[in-house]
Amino acid sequence: METLTEIIRFINFSFSYSGSNSPILKNINLLIEEGDFVLLVGPSGCGKSTLLRCINGLIPHLYNGVYEGEVIVDGEPVKNKSVNELATKVGFVFQNPENQIFMFSVEKDIVFGLENIGLDKTEIDDRLSWVLRALDIEHLRYKPPYELSDGQKQRVAIAGVLAMKPKILILDEPTSLLDPRTALEFISLLKELNRKFGLTIIAVEHRIDLLTNVANRMVVMDKGEIVFNGCLKDVIENKNLNLHGVNVPPVIALQNYLRNEGFIFDAFYLNVKEFSKEIKRRLLEID
Amino acid sequence: MFWLAEGLVYRRQESIIHSLDPRVKLIISFSLFILSLFSSTIFEFIILLSAIFLLGVLSKVLRRMIKTITFSLTFVIMIFVINLLVGYDLIFSIVISLRFIAIISSSSIFFLTSSPDELDLVMRSLHLPYDLIFAFVTAVRFVPVILLDAIQIIDSQRSRGLEIEKGNIFKRIRNYIPILIPLIVQSIIRSEELAEAMESRAYGFSKKRTSYYTLHFKMKDYLILCLHLMLVVLFILLVYFLHL
Repeated sequence: METLTEIIRFINFSFSYSGSNSPILKNINLLIEEGDFVLLVGPSGCGKSTLLRCINGLIPHLYNGVYEGEVIVDGEPVKNKSVNELATKVGFVFQNPENQIFMFSVEKDIVFGLENIGLDKTEIDDRLSWVLRALDIEHLRYKPPYELSDGQKQRVAIAGVLAMKPKILILDEPTSLLDPRTALEFISLLKELNRKFGLTIIAVEHRIDLLTNVANRMVVMDKGEIVFNGCLKDVIENKNLNLHGVNVPPVIALQNYLRNEGFIFDAFYLNVKEFSKEIKRRLLEID
Repeated sequence: MFWLAEGLVYRRQESIIHSLDPRVKLIISFSLFILSLFSSTIFEFIILLSAIFLLGVLSKVLRRMIKTITFSLTFVIMIFVINLLVGYDLIFSIVISLRFIAIISSSSIFFLTSSPDELDLVMRSLHLPYDLIFAFVTAVRFVPVILLDAIQIIDSQRSRGLEIEKGNIFKRIRNYIPILIPLIVQSIIRSEELAEAMESRAYGFSKKRTSYYTLHFKMKDYLILCLHLMLVVLFILLVYFLHL
């Protein structure tokens, strides 16, 4: 069995924005290991985005407030490092890709971050061709941002972040602007990045069913606190999930309902395909 | 305002001039601009303007250049009439008007043939501070985005019953307030998100920011630059020393 190493740790962490009376994050204790794919869910305003901004240092370096406890990323407290230093460790993809593409062409935008960290031409060449290939956007290389579709923009935004070779990739509602098909394609891209390059991924997503087959861990937040945290399968089975404003995928809700009605299933089925197979088997048994 | 934009907005095109190093284009444009400032006879302006129009033909932007000039004719006539009224003679008034045309058309050569991308490279090669270059690049980059925002806001305010083209001139100006305020708010929010994204991409990480892009003069650039400088020197010799 491979040994897992800790990459992010929140220790008794609380934060409140300056000017606000109540803390947005309350007593957070959270451990994320290298290679984890974490699905972070919770109702709007529960502090998800704030939590993410604590990992790459935007909090406390760009936002003022009361900062208690400790956030440790890759062995070092976030407090002691600046955001741009952390940028080589933590890649942050924001909700709106439009506001993350600064330059006139895809290539120039990817190069932007690499120039910032002072790489030389050959290293930039290497990383550029690698990231364009990895995200399958070689054909977009010289295109200006206004000629890209939303899905393509999202890929370019990730490319710009990934070229910095971070260990952690944070995504704040990455699929909210994508249509269902593009969203699915996008999720399978994330899966590949996680499996192939061992990238630790933390994603906020309201459409949980998109990620149930990809993520291995799930964290549920409500009112600034972590209410559930653990292996995705264990968390998603919990019947109290919808009490915290989590949109439980229909296939899970159906199983919960049937269990309440007295049906017994040996396992928990995360997707429609597996569950319908089980139902079909049962129906054939009755015949 | 639109007449000005027509003569200053770059469109992707191919020509001998477009393919030149942007620094050469800047030198050509700027030297013609300076010469137009210092020229003082109709003869000089005939030479200068024909050189400028020749460049317009070579770079296939003559039509848009002329469009800009025709739109600016109102100003040209105004300058001409005011000069006459103040008491200058006819020749002097014509020279001043021609100078105005030469200044506008010479500076539009550079903007019509160089993409914002090339402008970025020129600024880098001049070693301007990167903060300044970045501000310029993002300003140009977000023009279409903010324009789309504006269209969206106009549409949504119209669907709530705002009638922009109604009333006298003061009423019409006031009608734009419900469009401007949301647009400004939206742009501020956008700039906040931009700042976050910039920080997260290591903007300002080290003092020694490298530049992946460098400009290189090609044979063609040297040739055209030499030819241009020779012509400029010839012009100066003819006009200022031989008093043709």
